[in-house]
Amino acid sequence: MTADAPPVVAVDKSQDSAPSRGVRAWLSRHPLAAYAIRRVGIYFVELWGALTIAFFFFRLIPGDPVQTLIQTLQQNYMYNQQASTELIARYQQEFGLTGNMFSQYVKYMEKLVLHGDLGPSLINYPTPAQDVILRALPWTIGLLGISAVLSWILGVLLGAIAGWRRGKLGSAIATNLSIALSHVPYFFVALILVYIFAYSMGVLPARSAYDSNISPGITPEFIGSVLKYGLLPGLSIVVIGTLSWILSTRMLMVPVLGEDYLVYAEAKGLKGWRILTRYALRNCYLPQITAFGISLGFIFNGNVLVEQLFNYPGLGTTLVTAIQQLDFNTILGVTDIAIFSVLTAVLLLDLLLPLLDPRVKYWK
Amino acid sequence: MTMRILTAVLRTIRNSRRLAIGLLILGVMVLLALFSPLIVNAIGGGKDPIEVAAYEKWLVPGPGHLLGTDQFGRDVFAMVVKALSVSLQIGAIAGIISTVVGVIVAFVAGYKGGWIDGILSTFTGILLVIPTFPLLIALSAYAKNVTLFQVGVMISIFAWPFAAKTIRSQVLSLRTRPYVDLARVSKARDLEIIVTELLPNLLPFIGVGFASSALGAIFGLVGLEVIGLGPGGVVDLGQIIFNAITTGALTLGAWPMFVVPIVLLTLLFAALNMVNIGLEEVYNPRLRGVAGE
Repeated sequence: MTADAPPVVAVDKSQDSAPSRGVRAWLSRHPLAAYAIRRVGIYFVELWGALTIAFFFFRLIPGDPVQTLIQTLQQNYMYNQQASTELIARYQQEFGLTGNMFSQYVKYMEKLVLHGDLGPSLINYPTPAQDVILRALPWTIGLLGISAVLSWILGVLLGAIAGWRRGKLGSAIATNLSIALSHVPYFFVALILVYIFAYSMGVLPARSAYDSNISPGITPEFIGSVLKYGLLPGLSIVVIGTLSWILSTRMLMVPVLGEDYLVYAEAKGLKGWRILTRYALRNCYLPQITAFGISLGFIFNGNVLVEQLFNYPGLGTTLVTAIQQLDFNTILGVTDIAIFSVLTAVLLLDLLLPLLDPRVKYWK
Repeated sequence: MTMRILTAVLRTIRNSRRLAIGLLILGVMVLLALFSPLIVNAIGGGKDPIEVAAYEKWLVPGPGHLLGTDQFGRDVFAMVVKALSVSLQIGAIAGIISTVVGVIVAFVAGYKGGWIDGILSTFTGILLVIPTFPLLIALSAYAKNVTLFQVGVMISIFAWPFAAKTIRSQVLSLRTRPYVDLARVSKARDLEIIVTELLPNLLPFIGVGFASSALGAIFGLVGLEVIGLGPGGVVDLGQIIFNAITTGALTLGAWPMFVVPIVLLTLLFAALNMVNIGLEEVYNPRLRGVAGE
């Protein structure tokens, strides 16, 4: 694995000691551009490193996808003959399993980067893995994206209030509750919610993403159904997500409260709410933006189990199905998509930060 | 030196109520796990209460069976006690391995600096951003007949970066302290400086690293179990939950089968998190009272 690393240094070096004086001078006049170039460079190194680690990780695990495919075909089509070596060779060719590990890697990366091709899937053979993934992707983006953003907003607001009113009973309850529960898997909350609302009270559905009697489309009924079915899985992510943001925001908020400019704002006779939102909160929500990007990976991890429990047709369920059938290409594809999304989100938020916070200056 | 560390630990615990509560809950759970064979025996009263068909199926909670029985007629209370000790073991195994790896990586990176630090930090950073759960599921799906220890090793592969990141930033700040310089001028070897000067000062952060790795490991195993991909032959709390889901305990109203493991695990996560925050509070005066009342 250390073999991935030397280029990291190479990239950094090439940017630190740009040979041409002109470029250097320009960069020092435009620190923001220099920062952006450096940041994008790091992004590509990280992306490449992560994809490479994922590829070799899955290839080094024992297991033969071609044998699995042939077994599936035999079961499904009562195809009882032993597979000929020719057939096996053809499938191996198709799944990119010919040649040594390194040439497989080069071929995989080439197809992935140039054509966005992840190879054929097994769970839905011969549909390409990228199609299987693209079908599931909107559901996960919808469920996970909305829940993640919602919990961030709620958590930062409540955390700021908890910091603002520290020493009060409500704040103490919120803080201790978040300490106790912020590391609980979403899945637990989901299970309890399902038990209460789906089985005991029978008011909300516990499986699937929409009512199968309604045909998918942009109609009010369908959207209503999607929202209704998404409520429980979404809620289970939001509950725990909010609690963990409360805790970290509160920790950022309390040191800010001692600052002079807040005393001044109070002396000016500004309303408490205005001081909180316009003065105090502005200084503590910025680090939380970076933290949001980094947290997406964890949220994805937890989301896999939630989707699986609700049989939600998103990436998590696809992943579990793929793993049960040893579908290499789909598993690796889902992992690649997750890696790409998380790294890209972190990159975009990092690039956005100097625009939001004028104090941030990226001098190198 | 052992005495010095011991008194320091005691002083730390006295200073933080949160840390004390967290450790107390953990202590009770560890005791429960240590005495689990005795407890299981007492419940069975001579025979094995976890044996298939030991009792009638789906008994409701009552004086004979505090938490009822499951689909095979096994006593749920006995299962939970035994499973708790498995969950704690996996936390301890993976926690120790990933803390050791994390400490080594952190010290090499933070103390040596330069390009070694560049490589190690980038690598740690990448591992931190990759959603590791897919990798963990995949690994366990291919490795069916593994022991608890091997699962612990597998989980550690993904858990050590957290510990490494926490500790490295502390090594960086300690490295430039005058007393380290003094040790260096007086020709102490690197290893000597690390062991005698840096390590004792980093104990709380190593504790934080351990607690968060253990937390991640227990969550990892529970995650594997609830989708039916855990190691064979061991029953941990996650597997009881998985059982409850697949046998329809939710619809049957057999709530102890999933509520009790969830409550126990929640308590365990809460305790580990309290230890984490308590340790950080005590050693980072800026935070003192910040997370407080």
